Amino acid sequence: MDATPAVRLEGVSKQFADSYAVHHLDLDIEAGHFFSLLGPSGCGKTTSLRMIGGFSDPTEGSVLLAGEDVTALPPNKRNVNTVFQSYALFDHLSITDNVAFGLKRKGVAKAEIRRRVGEMLELVQLDGLADRKPRTLSGGQRQRVALARALVNRPAVLLLDEPLAALDLKLRRQMQVELKQIQREVGITFVFVTHDQDEALTMSDRIAVMNKGRIEQCGTPEDIYEHPATRFVASFMGTSNLMTGTYRGGEVALDQGPALAVGPRSDIADGSAVSVSVRPEKIWLSDFEPGMSKLRGVLRDTVYSGPTTTYLIELAPGVTLSVLEQNTARARMEDRWSGGESVEFGWRPEHCLVLA
Amino acid sequence: MTLLKLPSAKAPTRPAARTRARRGRADRRPRVLIAVTALFFLLLYLPIAVVALFSFNSKKSLTVFGGFSLRWYRTFAHDDVLIASLGTSLRISLVAMAGSVLLGVALALGLVRCRTRLGSLAGLIMLVPLITPEIVTGVASMLLFKGLGVALSTGTVMLAEITFSISYVTVILRSRVAALNPEVEEAAMDLGATRWQAVRLVTLPALLPAVLASAVLIFALVFDDFVLAYFTTGVDPQPLSVRIYSAIRFGVQPTINAVGTLMLAGSICLIALALFIPRLFGRRGGLDILSGE
Repeated sequence: MDATPAVRLEGVSKQFADSYAVHHLDLDIEAGHFFSLLGPSGCGKTTSLRMIGGFSDPTEGSVLLAGEDVTALPPNKRNVNTVFQSYALFDHLSITDNVAFGLKRKGVAKAEIRRRVGEMLELVQLDGLADRKPRTLSGGQRQRVALARALVNRPAVLLLDEPLAALDLKLRRQMQVELKQIQREVGITFVFVTHDQDEALTMSDRIAVMNKGRIEQCGTPEDIYEHPATRFVASFMGTSNLMTGTYRGGEVALDQGPALAVGPRSDIADGSAVSVSVRPEKIWLSDFEPGMSKLRGVLRDTVYSGPTTTYLIELAPGVTLSVLEQNTARARMEDRWSGGESVEFGWRPEHCLVLA
Repeated sequence: MTLLKLPSAKAPTRPAARTRARRGRADRRPRVLIAVTALFFLLLYLPIAVVALFSFNSKKSLTVFGGFSLRWYRTFAHDDVLIASLGTSLRISLVAMAGSVLLGVALALGLVRCRTRLGSLAGLIMLVPLITPEIVTGVASMLLFKGLGVALSTGTVMLAEITFSISYVTVILRSRVAALNPEVEEAAMDLGATRWQAVRLVTLPALLPAVLASAVLIFALVFDDFVLAYFTTGVDPQPLSVRIYSAIRFGVQPTINAVGTLMLAGSICLIALALFIPRLFGRRGGLDILSGE
């Protein structure tokens, strides 16, 4: 593993008036990674990206690119390029001239520019539209132009600010796959800002989940989904069935409902208030295995959605759990329960996460 | 001043059948609307039509048409004083256009980008020349030049006209600048452009239609401006509008009709140019000269 990270943020803060948009951020992004900054709007992810790009000056801390401190350098002196949320294409220039803009600024020879622009348009599958103006393209095509315009400069790091947010769902899924393929092909470090947890999970090598200007957790998609470090991460990443209670000797007594076995935790003091989370797909409704925690609840609602069915089961007054089940042949909905019935469910103890 | 809303530059070719259908619909409209419209255009253009007609009069009379001739155009062509005035007016208009567009665009960029209290105050002050009676501006300019000991000349007219015109350019450009996506300039810098290159290569081209539209407007405004020119001009050579005014005091010469008709033709050419500008940029629809949209 290369020791020098492609991007390093050291104690970076951005203060607006008396509030922090970004608060003492420390972050290393490894070269060649597809790295996502994930969080709700206003969490500081775009501000962080803008500080890496040089569009916003940190009020504290340093930005390092490949080990070099670039905090004081303007955007045009940094070896990074950005794909903007609005794409920010130059409407008065043709697609070719848009893509060639960066190379021309660098004074690359004309023949070389023509070759590289041609290659790049081919990579993003726009080779037939070279002479068109941006206004005449569809949203997806404009997105590709923005990507080509940035990538053609072969930056050390490519910054992407919610580049797929303006596309419809189907095109978005398609672009997610394509973007990931392109990233593998060119081997450039991608820093990708998104508020969409599915997008972050499917595309990233690593994810930093941000909230209120701080990083809540940084890790692989699996780490973040399976082992959320905080209540915020658990609730932001999909449905998490958060329940509150009090920890005491390997059990959590829910504020409403029974005590759940969670195993001994040396890091949590007896009597502390904690949250417990069990992912909907980790809860079983049949074929229980030995050693599972088993509970009973009242079925309140059934939501059928094609490949899966979600059951809403009330464990105790005010505590309703979401349970996700694959619609395999053995589990046809009409073969199962109707509303109001008491049902048994269970989970493996290790899937019951305790969050301080 | 007139607020020009020019119609669409697009002239679609329409099949004959649809033209007939349109005429059929128009027939069913109340005749009185057609009459009112006709009267409106008559009142609007009759005085101008009379001037144009009598510029081709063979007689000296301003009331009796004696037959077609180019006599007064010839007289104008040999009137060195009027020709000199025309040249002076064109020079003043071109310089005022260049100066006010340069300063007005810069001011518009500054006002939109500078979001401080002082900036919004400057934005308000900028509007004052638009509502100040021109005669006040004229007298004030004259007094200022006299007070500073600057001799009135073509140069002082140019300065006064530039001062007067900046606001128009800024008002037209400000909405366009505000509508620009700030990420586009950032994108240019991201791709290696310096701040100045970003403005020159990306921002100004995006503003070009509005810049050209405001330039045409300022040229037309300054060319036929009388009040400001009257108070700030020197003795010789005088701008055309001031010269015509002086000439009329000693009795109206039909030459003035010829000059007026030529100015009208020039204005029509300018308007045609203004209509052509959006086509140049591949935009559909008309060009609103005041908003530059």
